[in-house]
Amino acid sequence: MRKIIHIDMDAFYASVEQRDNPELQGQPVAVGGSSKRGVVASASYEARRFGVRSAMPSVTAQRLCPQIIFVKSRFEVYREVSNQIRDIFFSYTDLVEPLSLDEAYLDVTENKKNLKSAILIARQIRKEIEDQTQLTASAGVSFNKFLAKVASDINKPNGMKVILPEEAEAFLEELPVEKFHGIGKVTAGKMKRMGLHKGKDLKKMSELELVRRFGKAGLHYYKIVRAQDERPVNPNRIRKSIGAERTYSKDLTRLEDMKEKVEYLCEVVYNYMEKKDNFGRTLTLKIKNSDFKVITRSRTFGGEIRRLADLEQAALQLLEENIQPDHRIRLLGIAVSNLSKEQIGGGGIQLEFDF
Amino acid sequence: MKFSVSSADLLKQLQIAAGSIAQNTVLPILEDFLFTISNNKLQIAATDLETSITTELDVKADSNGAIAVPAKILLETLKALPQQPITFNIDETNFGIEITSSYGKYRLAGESGKDFPKIPEPDAVDTVGLPGKVLTQGINKTLFATSTDELRTAMTGVYFQVDFDKLTMVATDAHKLVKYTYSNLSSDVATSFIVPKKALNLLKGAVPEAEDVKLAFNKANAFFTFGNTHLVCRLIDAKYPDYNAVIPVDNPNLLSLPRVDFQNSLKRIAIYANKTTNQVVLNINDGSLTVSAQDLDFSNEATEQLACTYEGEPLVIGFNAKFLIEMLGVITSDEVKMELSTPTRAGILLPNEEPDEERILMLVMPVMLSN
Repeated sequence: MRKIIHIDMDAFYASVEQRDNPELQGQPVAVGGSSKRGVVASASYEARRFGVRSAMPSVTAQRLCPQIIFVKSRFEVYREVSNQIRDIFFSYTDLVEPLSLDEAYLDVTENKKNLKSAILIARQIRKEIEDQTQLTASAGVSFNKFLAKVASDINKPNGMKVILPEEAEAFLEELPVEKFHGIGKVTAGKMKRMGLHKGKDLKKMSELELVRRFGKAGLHYYKIVRAQDERPVNPNRIRKSIGAERTYSKDLTRLEDMKEKVEYLCEVVYNYMEKKDNFGRTLTLKIKNSDFKVITRSRTFGGEIRRLADLEQAALQLLEENIQPDHRIRLLGIAVSNLSKEQIGGGGIQLEFDF
Repeated sequence: MKFSVSSADLLKQLQIAAGSIAQNTVLPILEDFLFTISNNKLQIAATDLETSITTELDVKADSNGAIAVPAKILLETLKALPQQPITFNIDETNFGIEITSSYGKYRLAGESGKDFPKIPEPDAVDTVGLPGKVLTQGINKTLFATSTDELRTAMTGVYFQVDFDKLTMVATDAHKLVKYTYSNLSSDVATSFIVPKKALNLLKGAVPEAEDVKLAFNKANAFFTFGNTHLVCRLIDAKYPDYNAVIPVDNPNLLSLPRVDFQNSLKRIAIYANKTTNQVVLNINDGSLTVSAQDLDFSNEATEQLACTYEGEPLVIGFNAKFLIEMLGVITSDEVKMELSTPTRAGILLPNEEPDEERILMLVMPVMLSN
């Protein structure tokens, strides 16, 4: 049986801002642009109480919480804190799989301090993080990645949850489907319409039935609801692309509206690239028409796209080149691939001539 | 206007010209051939505005004139006809075209020849003559190494350097580089320019090895003439990278081995390499070369050992197998040499022997191994 910990910083960017600026403490804070087209990258818990969430357009956040304070992001600082946290992780184990600047899986089955108890390790790590950074983290402790991830969310913020092997199945049976990591809003809605509300409802479905309804993901659901997740903690996990897409309740017909949506998606993707500290060379625009026809158009650049303005410019250009006047658009998506971290770990790095 | 011609002769010339027609054209007239008749000569032209081909053949005509003929329908018609004399009858008021074969009549709608884009013609420019065989060889040995990165336009073409009696062709995508030199040229000029990939692909298929090619160029275009065919292409307007600066001068480790054995080994080992990186590892010791690869995602791995001659320090170096296989594929000698230095510096690949007037030098950047 493995011992896996999932550590997740609480409202990471917003908490860093509150730490560094006492005036922000106790206030609803959103990190991100306050402009008409800005996007919230992170919201403090005071702001979350009003329903403000990350990846939300700043105008929506402002409407939900008129007294919200917008703060510009400082990724150099977040990256620095992230490195501090990672050093703490590495003092316990080398099997660390960072998911982003503020989140990681640790396999502590074997650990450098020869501690038997993963619960003790999680407690120590959280204390060290708080002592060294004055920031709080939540932790989930269990015997696989899926359960650890679900657990870290249960007593958030500044909390911890342990799911023991003998508790796992009962815990999952009572877990609402939308709390399953990997089941998104859309799928959860579909499940509820089918009368699948909790883990135990999912468990009644056969493997075949789940695959028929949900495709390949169904195989995954079948396993996780039985607390089966064999995925190793992989320190060299390779991400192929970073993207975001949105389906619109009303078809978009005006170029101006499409541009606004594309700018929003660019900012979401850009925040994500910043968060993952992973930038890509290839930009792909996905367009689904009202007749469900999907087109994707890509452009590859010589170097990584490292500025939001560059990403937006390239995306808008792709959009304008591929929109006909009579287009009715149901879905838009932006993805960036050819990521700088893609090659690391999986093998060597192809070197280039120094022209 | 009316003219007669052999269907097979016409088809042959049309197929040469058709290469320059783009798949998705911007203007409908670019899907046409331009036919121009002058004194019993039919000149055929086709263009995508970047690359144009003109060619000509003898016909029997009753007058002079020009007409744009839809390429696809004409080619299909001729391909479906057994060889025979055919007659074109052109109505110059409505650009209607009527073709008569021994089986019957075929009508299609043409367009005014005046609407066809003007094809650049060589002005008073420098010219160079070279054997067709040299040009096609040079293209075959370099084209594969060009880049597809549109942001580095210079590297998407082949760099031609003419230096009096010497022609150098260079291609690189920043990972691999080929430099091909032919030193028995007849020219009195020294210049350089970048020819786009499409034109070179067309030349490769069209230039007869036994014929000489006349190469002319000005600031904007290059003109290739062979037999009665002309190919004009717009040059890539960019600065070519200083490739000489990346050619190592001191690679002390010398590996020498049979080319085909090396290539075949790489082809087998590459099957077991990671499909995105194609990474193979060469472990080189005195007298033996171990080629190995593994794909961690699928737990595949393979190892082979080859006999070789090696002078130098033992070396472990990674390469993209696909690059090495392609590069070995354009060498013809039985033995090849690799000159290496460290696992992170460019390696040189050379044939062991080559004709006096030809030199080929290839460079490849290694894959930096992670452990």
